[in-house]
Amino acid sequence: MKNRQSISSICPYCGVGCGINLVVEDDRLASVAPQREHPISRGQLCAKGWSTAYGIETGNRITRPLIREPGGFREVSWDEAIATICDGLKLIIDEDGPDAVGIISSARATNEDNYAAQKLARAVLKTNNVDHCARICHSPTVAGLKQTLGSGAMTNSADDVFEADLILVIGADPTENHSVLGGHIMRAKLQGCKLIVIDPRRTRLAKMADLHLQLNPGTNIALINAMLDEIIRQQWHNSAFIARRCEGFEQLAGSVNGAMAAATKITGVAEQLIHKAARLYSQSPRSMLLYGMGITQYVSGTNGVIALSNLALTCGQVGRTGTGINPLRGQNNVQGACDMGCLPNVYPGYQAVDDKQVHHRFSQAWNTSLSRHAGLTSLGMTKGCIAGVFRGLIQFGEDSVVTDPDQNHVRAALQNMDLLVVAELTMTETAKLADVILPAASFAEKQGTFTNCERRVQVFHQALPPPGEAIADWQWLAAIARGMGSNQLDWPDSKAIFDEMAALTPIYSGMSYEKLEIKHGLQWPCNAENPDGSRVLHQHSFATDNGRAKLIPVHHVSIDEPADEHYPLLLTTNRLHFHYGCGSMTRKSPLLERETPAGILFINPQDATALDIEQHDGVGVCSRRGYLETRAMITDDVPPGLVSMPYHFREAPSNQLTNNAQDPVTKMPELKACAVSVTRLPEGQTPRSIDNLIIQEAGS
Amino acid sequence: MQTYRLDDPSVLQKHLAGKYRVYQMATGTEGNASWQPDVDGESISGGQRPPLSSAKTLFFSEQENLFSFDGECFRETLPTPEPFAVFGVHSCDLTAIAYQDQFFADDPYYQARRKQALLVGIDCITPCENGFCPTVDAGPGVSQSCADLILHCRQDGSWWLLVCNDKGVRAITGLDLDRAEDTALQTREQAIDSCKQQFADDGYLIDGIRVLHEEKMPEKFWQDVGLQCLACSGCTILCPTCSCYGTREKLVDDNRVEVERFWDSCLYESFQREASQHNPTLEPGQRVRRFWTHKFGNEFVETFDRYGCVGCGRCEETCPGVIGVHSIMKRLSKYA
Repeated sequence: MKNRQSISSICPYCGVGCGINLVVEDDRLASVAPQREHPISRGQLCAKGWSTAYGIETGNRITRPLIREPGGFREVSWDEAIATICDGLKLIIDEDGPDAVGIISSARATNEDNYAAQKLARAVLKTNNVDHCARICHSPTVAGLKQTLGSGAMTNSADDVFEADLILVIGADPTENHSVLGGHIMRAKLQGCKLIVIDPRRTRLAKMADLHLQLNPGTNIALINAMLDEIIRQQWHNSAFIARRCEGFEQLAGSVNGAMAAATKITGVAEQLIHKAARLYSQSPRSMLLYGMGITQYVSGTNGVIALSNLALTCGQVGRTGTGINPLRGQNNVQGACDMGCLPNVYPGYQAVDDKQVHHRFSQAWNTSLSRHAGLTSLGMTKGCIAGVFRGLIQFGEDSVVTDPDQNHVRAALQNMDLLVVAELTMTETAKLADVILPAASFAEKQGTFTNCERRVQVFHQALPPPGEAIADWQWLAAIARGMGSNQLDWPDSKAIFDEMAALTPIYSGMSYEKLEIKHGLQWPCNAENPDGSRVLHQHSFATDNGRAKLIPVHHVSIDEPADEHYPLLLTTNRLHFHYGCGSMTRKSPLLERETPAGILFINPQDATALDIEQHDGVGVCSRRGYLETRAMITDDVPPGLVSMPYHFREAPSNQLTNNAQDPVTKMPELKACAVSVTRLPEGQTPRSIDNLIIQEAGS
Repeated sequence: MQTYRLDDPSVLQKHLAGKYRVYQMATGTEGNASWQPDVDGESISGGQRPPLSSAKTLFFSEQENLFSFDGECFRETLPTPEPFAVFGVHSCDLTAIAYQDQFFADDPYYQARRKQALLVGIDCITPCENGFCPTVDAGPGVSQSCADLILHCRQDGSWWLLVCNDKGVRAITGLDLDRAEDTALQTREQAIDSCKQQFADDGYLIDGIRVLHEEKMPEKFWQDVGLQCLACSGCTILCPTCSCYGTREKLVDDNRVEVERFWDSCLYESFQREASQHNPTLEPGQRVRRFWTHKFGNEFVETFDRYGCVGCGRCEETCPGVIGVHSIMKRLSKYA
């Protein structure tokens, strides 16, 4: 009989951070089990979590370093791979300076990996060009809430949903994307909590909600401002809280005056519904606001976050259990990657790179000179590459060809790179473009910490040996540092990285592996003042310069590309419960892969009828940027005029179509709305994958 | 049934370890118990809650190869486990294994493991959270027909060992034990009865099952609960009686294909979808209904002589959609 062990870990998918045990039989992950004592997941997992054993199966894993050669990839030794990378980096830095290279780290890698990545960029390569995929999910959250509250993270804890009297979910589909937390919301609703959903799509929670405000895509600010207008007009605002803890109320009140009258025309939501939502949210003793990428992925993303902050602050729904402004984070460690300073403008713990004192402290601690100006964002790096000023990129744990906006643009940029290094588990679409591919260890094959969306830092343990020559990300990052002549990254183990990081990161300063092992982790800030961590932020003062929250007037901005006569439908993006990100892990499950066709377009029955489309028919979808083919899923979950696509499928990647018009503050692309035309494919023609379409186009 | 006195179950455990690989519940630092072999230093008690993952995985593997094809020959890949003992299995899970024994009676993969296994049951002397085994005749005392040996923890902390069959007799051969007093079996029955009395009122469960049988709930009921089913598959994975599986071909290299079977779940939309895309259970509510009909339907009683549910309550704990057995029966009972 086999050896059988059960190792405590953290689910590798979304930002909820469910406890998961890895059941290992003879060096193979046989199955997983939920942790019944876990404070968030309480014995539960979603379909993705349950399928984890398939996700890291070794069948198609990359197990040795690979170097691109004219005839294809060649397996090489680690020494040769690292030497090739370092020669490339040195050449570019010699010719064009350190800002011609950069790193895109991974929101699925550990805190330790991310700390190592930004330290490699800053202390060894001497550039602040470091970013990660939060750029395209919650960078507006970090930027927006930093301005208003002083801290860009979920203010409350996941289980606060059971303490709330009202839950407002806006631009988020938690039962599909954060399913265990979405389930908690359902449970709270069944136990009597009121539920309001604001979303262009009729989500599962919208169907259960007391109120569903089905607004037009991209009109969040107009709707929130209308609620604020109504709240202030009806005197439902919390004057005492505003007087004691906020500033800027008069300007805000002035700016939203009249918003209600204009709202229905812009948002498509009836005044009466807005009135009801405004009353419920403001008058419930404890109202908890949760939001997702339906707020952030617009050209008005940062202002959308600020609008939500205005709403919560005006009603005094911040700083207490069961309230707060709560962004739902998409990756298991996107919070951690942000916390670790894998952002071009901040060191670990959101300490600004252009702050003299901060700069001095990190220069001293790392005993080296550091760049004084902010670096490029990930999209800045791709743009810089097209322009020829950015030439070398190290990227890991992110398939940007499938998940970043405007696929053709991303592909062209990466192909144009003089040196592209990709560390991955499997041969993703991005890895296929690399000059050097490094075999990475999966979460089950290393130890480290992940920080979930409620700021909970949790330790997880190695369950399996990495396949072949794969190693943890921080280990190959250290090898590159050594190749560049630096011992800055020479740590003995992940614990040593954590200790160095915690000493430099005030919000993590009270944490150690030993303390994190007890009670399933600690929530930041965890320091001398809060040795047991912090369940609720901003209880007594805000993290701003003067301790007061800022109310900042913001105004409706139209989406960049509305539907028109050539592209008569609006396309939005969504995610499925069954798949995660680019699908590189979840699509290895035979069950999840069976569940949906490889690419879907959700379309309203009215639109389908008008276009002569029947269920599962092949359809062509065209925008100003690209064309793809997929299958129609007819549903009134989307309203007439709106179609929606998940982005999990490499065969039919929605980023062929999406717009890369950006939020001016954070460069967040407008992934949630662009204009498309849809046509039925001829009878009997199955949808062609994007690869085939590109080949056919190149051949014609 | 022969009964012996046992001061400490670890005596039996050590004895069995000489003949069998012993699997036992082991609790990790994170608080989860799971079935693991060669566990040292874990104590066993009559009040221990069954682990979230049941023992079915020791017989019906989550993923296993059935056969391979090399272009010329098909080769069956039967497991060849050494004899093993599963030490301290609760009554609910043993009842489920007895049920699986029937379901997989002709399944060589299941039987290859099952025939090597010695089942050592343990009587529950206190109810567990979410458990309702007495309602579905699956506990809290272990039935003689479901185990080879049974451990019973007495009030004074000492134990009785009940030997259920010849396999049990052979297993303890060489172990020097005193016969228990004549009243032992009667005292055990009383302890089990007293445990039964401590279970929460199961009126809503009985009412709910009746509503299910008589189909007194409106069609909208299934639409509502179907909306709450995320198709996570947690209930079917943890349910000790769920036994559905799928198969797939895995290309090992250019010359070899392996056929693997894996646990499936009837809550997936694709479970019953046909090649034509037609699906008799297209709506989530239809699938949830089927699941509960399989757990409590009379048709199952006709085939297996019992309900498909053994009252462990795991589905209640693991369901993110709040439609586990207690939640669903409470809602169904409103139509009684």
